[in-house]
Amino acid sequence: MTKSQIDRLAKRLKEGASNDDDLRLLDEYRRSFSEAYGHVIKIIRETLKLEPTGRPAKSTLSIVEKLRRESIRLSQIQDIAGCRITVDDILAQNKVIAELQGTFGHAIMSDRRQHPSHGYRAVHVIVQFQEKLIEVQVRTHLQHLWAQLSEKYADAMNPAIKYGGGPKSISAFLQEMSDMIADLEMLHQRWSSNYFSLPNAEHTDTISLASQREEILKMQQTISDLIMTAMNSIPKGNKP
Amino acid sequence: MIFLIDYDRDAGRIVSLRTFQDAAQNDAAETRLQLELDLKRKGIEREIVLLEAADESSIRKTHARYFSNVRELATALDTAAKDA
Repeated sequence: MTKSQIDRLAKRLKEGASNDDDLRLLDEYRRSFSEAYGHVIKIIRETLKLEPTGRPAKSTLSIVEKLRRESIRLSQIQDIAGCRITVDDILAQNKVIAELQGTFGHAIMSDRRQHPSHGYRAVHVIVQFQEKLIEVQVRTHLQHLWAQLSEKYADAMNPAIKYGGGPKSISAFLQEMSDMIADLEMLHQRWSSNYFSLPNAEHTDTISLASQREEILKMQQTISDLIMTAMNSIPKGNKP
Repeated sequence: MIFLIDYDRDAGRIVSLRTFQDAAQNDAAETRLQLELDLKRKGIEREIVLLEAADESSIRKTHARYFSNVRELATALDTAAKDA
């Protein structure tokens, strides 16, 4: 398939003017990523000893939505095929990212922890193999649960929620939750780093550690309260 | 293992979930295409997705939104934050 064929197909998909042949053509385009996808997954499993969940081809619905939402060509979409890795915390996330970059070389990193997209925080590592781009999403457990919650709200109430739109109370809740999770992860990272460096420290600052632990507990309680308030605001019997 | 999920976003639930062995990638992709063509002819818009993982419990974690509602995901987030 040529690039112009792919992009003409995208135009028809975007306009809702696609037919059976277009779906077959899109399928052919997605399948052209199979070899690159298989290569990346194999290396992640066998060399890095990680267990990703693979998604060999982005769904038609997600492709059409992306084409409609963004001024992007089908041939420019970087996540036609990819996989997802979830890890415990920021330290583990940084380790996996470094391993991916070391293994694949020339990988492009999109760090959405520094620049969240409507509250979405994660790191996407884009790997190139045989001129095909494969997206590897690396998320901490908390970042991942936030993303799932955001997507589920979008499914249940309004797709725009994922992109900062929809009911203001929901988008505000998700944004606040994302900020708090970022703070909690940062506090936890600082505490862990200080805790594990204690045996080598000349002066063990246990008071500082205790106060950091106190901050973590407070943040956990604030998150819990915020979630409870949000859940109580959903009327009984409502779809979510 | 390969999982073919037919997910109804509006209803927030999985309509069907089929599994294929790892070696049956082409079968899985072909089944997905036929399902998409069938739904299109009926004018039904649903999310049809193929996932690959060691087992179903893995996709229940990495793609929890297909299996859980907002309350369940919020509770999971609360629990994970407390465990952090």
